[in-house]
Amino acid sequence: MDLSAEDLAGGITKVVLRGRFDTTGAVVVELPFNKIATEKQKIIVDLSAVNFLASYGIRVLLVGAKVAKSKGGSLVIVCPDNNVAKVLKTAGMDALIPLYQTEAAATAALAA
Amino acid sequence: MIAMRNGGASRLVLGNDVAELERLAGWIEGFTRQGTSPDVSFAVQLCLEEAVANIIMYGAAKNDSLVIAVELERNCGTLVARIEDNGRQFDPTRAPPPAPAASLGEAKVGDVGIHLMRSFASGMDYERRDGRNRLTLRFVEPATLSSE
Repeated sequence: MDLSAEDLAGGITKVVLRGRFDTTGAVVVELPFNKIATEKQKIIVDLSAVNFLASYGIRVLLVGAKVAKSKGGSLVIVCPDNNVAKVLKTAGMDALIPLYQTEAAATAALAA
Repeated sequence: MIAMRNGGASRLVLGNDVAELERLAGWIEGFTRQGTSPDVSFAVQLCLEEAVANIIMYGAAKNDSLVIAVELERNCGTLVARIEDNGRQFDPTRAPPPAPAASLGEAKVGDVGIHLMRSFASGMDYERRDGRNRLTLRFVEPATLSSE
């Protein structure tokens, strides 16, 4: 699993996660992900290249969203309609963290 | 056409070390590479990761080493997974569903693993026998596959 971050226009930071977001993968990205959630205000987490998601990965996303919110920022997720999105929805994450299918939709929401 | 192989159980024995989850994932991938739909493969990966991670993290008293045996078997259009461990008694089928959070600030971190297992498996049974937990998970293939 790996993580890369990129600054977009409008003060938005895009975090791209790739690979298997399971217990093993979550341990690898947890620290850098928390650092971004702590330092940045508007965050898009792109899960398009994540092919698997389990509860430890959900935990990392939820903690990140809580950290961002606690300092007045916001974190949203981009994920196509696949099994990873089904895991997010089954876990009730779509009610807590805004979930979009495209980066354009996520960017528009953060800019609003 | 996807070939269906009936019978032929495969077995993997793991210790209670988080590093074992990677071995589990690779083994499931090998088993489901042929004759399993992508959705069922995903569901098996998810449910076994959750079940075995729970046993590894919470099944042992301090410093105890556990033996976790996982078995996968195809039975007509159903994939059956059995997990047996000698850890402390725990019946995931009786765990209460997580309470929905009213807001992000109030949301509890954790507690979703068993809920995911319930949702992604077609069925889940538990028994405690001879000092061991035995969890059986069933995954039914979509009709288009089993009718081939």
